[in-house]
Amino acid sequence: MNILSKLYAYIYLRGFRVWFSYKTQAVLTLLSWVLPVFTYYFTGTALGNSIVSKLGAGNYTAFFVIGLAFQGYVASTITTASQRLRNEQLYGTIEYYVLAPSGAFSFLVYTMLWGLALNSLSAIVILLVGRALGVVYTVSGLLTASLIIILLVLSSFGIAAMSGAVVMVTKQGNPIALFYSTFSTLMGNVVFPVTALPFYIRVVSYAIPLTWALQGLRGALLYGESLSLIMPDIMILLVFVIILVPIGTLSYIAAFNKARRDGTLSQY
Amino acid sequence: MDFRAEKGKITALVGPNGAGKTTIIKIVSTLILPTSGNAYVDGFDVVSQAKEVRRKIGLVTVSDRLMYYRLTGVENLVFYGALYNMGLREARERARELLQLVGLGDWSEQPIMHYSTGMLRRLAIARSLMHDPDVILLDEPTLGIDTTTSRKVRQLIRGLAFNRTIVLTSHLMKEIEELADDIFIIKSGRVVAKGTPVEIKSLAGRFAEASIPSRTINSEMEKYVLRFDNGMALVRAPESSVAAMTGQYVEVEPTLEDAYIMLAGESATDFRPYQIKRGGAWGREHPF
Repeated sequence: MNILSKLYAYIYLRGFRVWFSYKTQAVLTLLSWVLPVFTYYFTGTALGNSIVSKLGAGNYTAFFVIGLAFQGYVASTITTASQRLRNEQLYGTIEYYVLAPSGAFSFLVYTMLWGLALNSLSAIVILLVGRALGVVYTVSGLLTASLIIILLVLSSFGIAAMSGAVVMVTKQGNPIALFYSTFSTLMGNVVFPVTALPFYIRVVSYAIPLTWALQGLRGALLYGESLSLIMPDIMILLVFVIILVPIGTLSYIAAFNKARRDGTLSQY
Repeated sequence: MDFRAEKGKITALVGPNGAGKTTIIKIVSTLILPTSGNAYVDGFDVVSQAKEVRRKIGLVTVSDRLMYYRLTGVENLVFYGALYNMGLREARERARELLQLVGLGDWSEQPIMHYSTGMLRRLAIARSLMHDPDVILLDEPTLGIDTTTSRKVRQLIRGLAFNRTIVLTSHLMKEIEELADDIFIIKSGRVVAKGTPVEIKSLAGRFAEASIPSRTINSEMEKYVLRFDNGMALVRAPESSVAAMTGQYVEVEPTLEDAYIMLAGESATDFRPYQIKRGGAWGREHPF
């Protein structure tokens, strides 16, 4: 298997080396991590605090800092996988991934790892900015938070695989990636509690793993809630993982087989 | 269509655009699933034993990209080495060795965005060799590269054939004549002729050149016209066809290109029916 050489290839060579060779893009990406925190800080202190305090969500800055820091995990995991797949179609390299023994599935897993590596940096930067803005984190909740993050990543993997399957078939036009890169901020419990949403939108929110993950992460990282208190959120995330990972994996494999059957693997 | 490529030999698939050469290469390399029929690589079925087949083959497809432009030659090869489960040290050593082999040793640490088209083709060949495959599939390996570099690529391919099976496609008959041990001429998804270059040339029979009035050129003779000039057409065609049109002609030694023109001619189509109608079998049910 040689996991180390694959990590080096995907995360360092194809990920960091290529990403950092576009210096302007690298700087702008860093800014895109930091600026939204200040945007929500300044607009949010006027409006957000009153909304979240009415809904019992406590300090608004702490609320959106956790939301923004971890929303990236979901959005980037999903969009990175599908964008990367699209890029490889354009480069003409997708066929070489299929040919290699590690295969197209390995491509998806390691591509996601690069997205996660980049977004771990993003999450750390946002959490540090949050700390500078006065947010206090409880160290005791780190272990529980780690468990929630793992489940969030796994459930996102399932959705990313489905998103990749869509790209393999449609080439362009991906409703799954669009939804997670845009609407998840609105509906995923990211910058305001889902209870602030109208009921019919709230139903959609509850169908997003991110909503439950952020609820658990806030409990663990801001209020030091114990594992047993957060267990309902963890169980719901586990259900998402059990459902989404097999569906995502099967649809991804089916999409590649369809492309091989139709002779459209190299089309874009 | 049936074709067999043997170890230690270079087998060429030639035919007009849309004849099915690339489709065959992709079926053999497991990238397209055949709608019917069987294909084997070293005894392994390309459908049911795709993993085994993939380990056996190295592929060079038609494109001047196919790599990561921001990475160096070595980095690109190391990347693909990692996909083939190679350790980093092994991949680096193999990459440097192959870059030397394809004549890119001095450029190994340069980002490949600075490479010329010919250099990229050689790098693509190096990549196909990273896992030391027994079979190498080359789709138009000299497409778009200059004469001198083409010669280098041909030398390289000839060297690789020593202990491997090479299957290549090309439109350049001179290249085919120089490289191929066996030739399969494909037209509309079918093999219309096969043999060594000498055997294929012998199929052409006697050839002749003549200048005849352009207005007398019918659709069958059109493919034999070399050029039109002042109402006359210079044709190079089977002697019997020329003799039927004029008594004044010069007998010439047929080349591989003459034989190809006679056997394959022009395709009635210049598209890929397989990809236009998903499902592939359409092409056979609706001959073009």
